[in-house]
Amino acid sequence: MDLDFLDDGIVILDGAMGTVLQQRGLPPGGQPELLNFTRPDLLRSVYREYIDAGSNIIYANTFGASAPKLAGTGKTVDEVISAAVAVAKEAIAGRPVKVSLDMGPLGELLEPLGTLSFERAYELFKEQAVAAEKAGADLVSIETMTDLYEAKAALLAVKENTNLPVFVTMSFERNGRTFTGCTIPSMARTLEGLGADAIGLNCSLGPDLLAPLLKELCENTRLPVIAKPNAGLPDPATGAYGMGPEEFVRALVPCLDVGVTIFGGCCGTSPEYIRALTKALEGKLLGHSGDVIGPAGQRLSRQSVDCLPNDRSGGLPTACLPTAQMPRPRTYHSVGFLCSAMTPCALDGVRVIGERVNPTGKKRFQQALLENDLDYILDVAVQQEDAGADILDVNVGFPGVDEVAMLPRVVKKIQSAVSLPLQLDSSNPDALEAGLRVYNGKAAVNSVNGERAVLDRILPIVKKYGASVVGLCLDEKGIPQTAEGRVAIARRILDAALSYGIPAEDVWIDCLTLTVSAQQEQARETLKAVRMVREELGLQVVLGVSNISFGLPNRPLVTQNFLIQAMAAGLTLPIINPNQREMMDAVAAFKVLSGEDAGSRDYIARFADAAPAAKAAPTKAGASLTLEDAIIRGLEGDAGRLAKEALQTQDELSLVEGRLIPALDKVGEDYEAGRAFLPQLLSAAQAAQAVFEVIKASVAQKGGAPVKKGKFAIATVKGDIHDIGKNIVRTVMENYGYEAVDLGRDVPPEVIVDTVRDQNIRLVGLSALMTTTLPAMEETIRQLKALPNPPAVWVGGAVVTPEYAREMGADYYARDARQSVEIARKVFEA
Amino acid sequence: MKLDLSEPLRYLGVRGEPDSGLYAELSAVADRLTQAVTPRYVWRVFHVKHTFDGEGLAGTGLTLTGEMARKMLADCSQAVLLACTLGAGFETLLRAEQARSMARAAMLDVCGSAWVEVGCDQAEEEISARFPGMYRTDRFSPGYGDLPLELQRDICALLEAQRRLGVQVTDSLLMNPTKSVTAVIGLSDQPQPARIRGCGYCNFRDDCQYRKEGKTCGS
Repeated sequence: MDLDFLDDGIVILDGAMGTVLQQRGLPPGGQPELLNFTRPDLLRSVYREYIDAGSNIIYANTFGASAPKLAGTGKTVDEVISAAVAVAKEAIAGRPVKVSLDMGPLGELLEPLGTLSFERAYELFKEQAVAAEKAGADLVSIETMTDLYEAKAALLAVKENTNLPVFVTMSFERNGRTFTGCTIPSMARTLEGLGADAIGLNCSLGPDLLAPLLKELCENTRLPVIAKPNAGLPDPATGAYGMGPEEFVRALVPCLDVGVTIFGGCCGTSPEYIRALTKALEGKLLGHSGDVIGPAGQRLSRQSVDCLPNDRSGGLPTACLPTAQMPRPRTYHSVGFLCSAMTPCALDGVRVIGERVNPTGKKRFQQALLENDLDYILDVAVQQEDAGADILDVNVGFPGVDEVAMLPRVVKKIQSAVSLPLQLDSSNPDALEAGLRVYNGKAAVNSVNGERAVLDRILPIVKKYGASVVGLCLDEKGIPQTAEGRVAIARRILDAALSYGIPAEDVWIDCLTLTVSAQQEQARETLKAVRMVREELGLQVVLGVSNISFGLPNRPLVTQNFLIQAMAAGLTLPIINPNQREMMDAVAAFKVLSGEDAGSRDYIARFADAAPAAKAAPTKAGASLTLEDAIIRGLEGDAGRLAKEALQTQDELSLVEGRLIPALDKVGEDYEAGRAFLPQLLSAAQAAQAVFEVIKASVAQKGGAPVKKGKFAIATVKGDIHDIGKNIVRTVMENYGYEAVDLGRDVPPEVIVDTVRDQNIRLVGLSALMTTTLPAMEETIRQLKALPNPPAVWVGGAVVTPEYAREMGADYYARDARQSVEIARKVFEA
Repeated sequence: MKLDLSEPLRYLGVRGEPDSGLYAELSAVADRLTQAVTPRYVWRVFHVKHTFDGEGLAGTGLTLTGEMARKMLADCSQAVLLACTLGAGFETLLRAEQARSMARAAMLDVCGSAWVEVGCDQAEEEISARFPGMYRTDRFSPGYGDLPLELQRDICALLEAQRRLGVQVTDSLLMNPTKSVTAVIGLSDQPQPARIRGCGYCNFRDDCQYRKEGKTCGS
């Protein structure tokens, strides 16, 4: 179905269904979708009123027609959707009005907040979309989304499995964010990139409070924009919505001036509101005696064209107001852009790309990849966020690692805790697609080059997921030795991207840094290429900066100087190690000189913290500090340094057994005696972790066997989503040298049993926080004890008592992390 | 807004004066939390019908069963249902903090518990302003006393907590995001004793018959 109608005119949607039915005496409660079977007459009469009031598109009664919400109703998704679409079509009775599938949230929260996986959400939406197309719906409207990730799953499901056009509207709070923290620019640019046909806002607020958000939305998208507000806010005393039709329309119509062209109503609205809206928009748009311009440029009277058939739209109705008459003063900001759901990153200055999530030349990182140690990788990501990176490059390519499986896992892990946008770094198109698919936001792809085959392989993926792309200035013939040669390749990459429908602002060029100690004259060529790409092509410029100084003494000095010169030449996206202070200082200073840091505010804030030099003191005083003291006092940095020194004279195992564990025990005893508290216990564990990091690095360097004292599995049981208690226990135990297999939260008994059997685990910890999840704990123990060689089981959590533990058949009960360590000792060191 | 740290300290098991380092760090964690996350809430008022089965909420088909509800709402003509949450933002903060420092994450967790209660207090102030001349009972929640935990789901449904707050009740009756609270508050035209918060908060403490007999009205 062609959607030209969206460019040409105003489209009127319908208003609420639920609140209208309640006003007509239908009691609240029950699954509204069942009305498609029990009260189709009532639904049809409301639809007819909306159509009479001017609606061009009506939403079928399918908001909750997803498998989870229909569970227990005895109806399948397919049955409900085909009945609902049929009811809506009957109401149309031949008039040029279209029926949209209404697709609301699944009602279960997606990972990482909930436990519903992205992939499962996709399947559930797919089922609805396929049923809608089969039932003859004309389009799909995904609405009331508050999680961009869920909206993405829904949008992909519609686009990949049907040919229907798709609208997406989300619900924002007054502060410009959804409940999950999604911002308007993130929503707009992510969904536009993914190929939505129109986007907008519905529900949550009235048109008065939605208006500023709609303006922001229009500034961030080229797509037609939808407004479907509530009739104000509900009164807490009565539950009634506060805004009448006239007030509603008065607040909504001005949104036309910022670029909204698709209008409707959500909770609390009724056919009366839509009638008032239609009337107000007619007058507003025409601006004269009631004429409109027809498709062939002819003047028509308004009455004769209530809904003009529009050939280009395949019969989709429009209110038929031609472009020439439309006030469309859209001020779209065309700018390079990248985002996570929570963090928009407009590329209107220098933005630092952190390079540390990369195994190249890093033994410890390689080991983490091979051991599936995603927590280590997350640590590396978090450190860069804290150091001030704007974007993180993510590279997990290493021999022995299945990149196609690993990249999406690492993306999910990082985005669960880090809100920076990501740049996925791989040459494997399958890995890139897998990573882009599960990314929540608009990502970048690193990289393509001027080779035709590479461009044709990667660019369609970049386009499909609305990503940005880094183009390296090289091709099958290698790296051109002149700036002109590199710019020629850049031009070729840009042309190829444009031919795939990727806009220029999403094309970034890497002019390539060569090692100055090997090819001295190339530093100048690179800088020249940077300048030319900026001036001649106007594109974003990327450089992996650190490579410049390879093989030279005092590398940071050379790297920093090159970085400064490159930024002066026009580099906008330096890929650097943000943990190197010299580099971030140079960026901060550059932003002052370029005027980007208005009033030098960020610069001053950056160095305000550094003022009291006393802060550095602890390390100095550390001269007399012992490793044991550092652990007991929770001084991570000192503990790591002292461990390195200690390894000069003793081996890893004796360091752990002779020094680390006795120190931890000292804190543990204080904790038990009420002299130290949980934060101190955990700080000591963290300092111990720093020691273990040193040991792991040392072992990885030597290629020896890791120091591990026994492997335990730990999980929060099925149905329980509280995991901080379990994580605390795991942290403390790991820092006594026990190896954790953390199965996470809401873990079914079968998963725990399979893991224990497959990995021959001898100790299992189970946590439950609620009385409602104790049965799941008991069932898990029952299944574990039915194994031929059952493991020892210990349990804990707020509602668990020693008595419960015994009754459930657990071997041990632990009140806290400290007791858990004692249990591990009994089991492993008996 | 400054968060009162006495509850967080109690949750952490700290007895007596906390050492200054711990206090300072907890205070910094609390400040960051209150800057980053604002509790959000919704509430609605219902007329109460005192019936044999329990306290019915007019127009909803919902009855609050058990001794707890009967006692708390005995003098009340209306009851407020309240849901309050720190939202998904808190969960994200907590996950990130766990990657940085488990010690600070544990502090953030207990500060979150206190902060969502502050949100409930703010809602109560709003309710109080909306119903001048009415007296509020202490707020009580599903799972307190014999008030069934199952009500969690009904209260969230009546308040449309999913759509309006982003709060979901799981099959095992947990709320997600985890720092979320539902509560009931009775409204009466007579002063109400502090049955749950205790005598220290009570208007009647000076001439309370129970107290004179060494008992409390809450138990």
